[in-house]
Amino acid sequence: MAETLAAPAHTTAAATRRLVVVLLVGGAVAVALGVYGKAHDPTHEQPYTWFFTSTIQLKVWFASAALALAIAQVLLGMRLYDKISIPRHAPSWLGDAHRLVGTLAFVITLPVAYQCLWALGFQSTDTRVLVHALLGCFFYGVFTVKVLSVRVKGLPDRMLPIVGGVVFAALVGLWVTSALWFFTSRPAGIPAT
Amino acid sequence: MFHKFVNAIEVLALIGVAVVVVLLFANEPDTGSTTPSTPGAQIYAASCASCHGADGGGGIGPQLAGGAAAERFPDVADQITFVTDGSGSMPSFGGRLSPAQLRQVVEYTRTL
Repeated sequence: MAETLAAPAHTTAAATRRLVVVLLVGGAVAVALGVYGKAHDPTHEQPYTWFFTSTIQLKVWFASAALALAIAQVLLGMRLYDKISIPRHAPSWLGDAHRLVGTLAFVITLPVAYQCLWALGFQSTDTRVLVHALLGCFFYGVFTVKVLSVRVKGLPDRMLPIVGGVVFAALVGLWVTSALWFFTSRPAGIPAT
Repeated sequence: MFHKFVNAIEVLALIGVAVVVVLLFANEPDTGSTTPSTPGAQIYAASCASCHGADGGGGIGPQLAGGAAAERFPDVADQITFVTDGSGSMPSFGGRLSPAQLRQVVEYTRTL
């Protein structure tokens, strides 16, 4: 009985190979960002402020918006996996809404990441800054893994929710070490918006 | 309809990623003309500019340019103590910079 239920060895090996490739690609993205941040000469400039006082305020509010969207995406994902039952009947567009919210959250992080990499680079001036820099590289690496996990067939079923959870955790860590720190520790005279 | 809309947004996101990558490399500053000339300026660029701005105009940290540093610390020794020990969100640089470097960078901030 156990033999009939077990996956064929070649299928398992193929899935493992795909998994390794996906993880390697994600790792390469994370390392590439770190190498760029370290090798690039930081400009310390504010490339855009749009309707904020400075780029810093723009970044913390964009990061906060990305986190809010990510929370919504996690809730939508939990409904997709029947971990919550609100709404009772999942609408047909739930999967697309999950994708849309996640995509928007990711897009919102792009101007933040660009300013971090281009103007500041990879820094390690104190523990918070070092953790933030490492998490920033890790976030885009694990996000790459998540996107590939959706596209590549034959990966373990549990991979997508696990990687999605790791992406969310990385984003929370990024927000805590940047926006939350700014809101709670900014010097007097520096506006919040 | 909604599915196609989401697909289009994903394509736009991919284009956004490509634009960011291109900008990261196309917008590289000319390091030859921006290398700080004095030791104080070099320390400032490496340790202070990320928070206080390349020109001391402020950012995460308060503005230093336009006499703001000297206005807040009329006595240069007080500013050196502040930078050495740190306070609140201002990190301590006492363990990272020598006393001579601390004086150089503090004096530089008072010229911005």
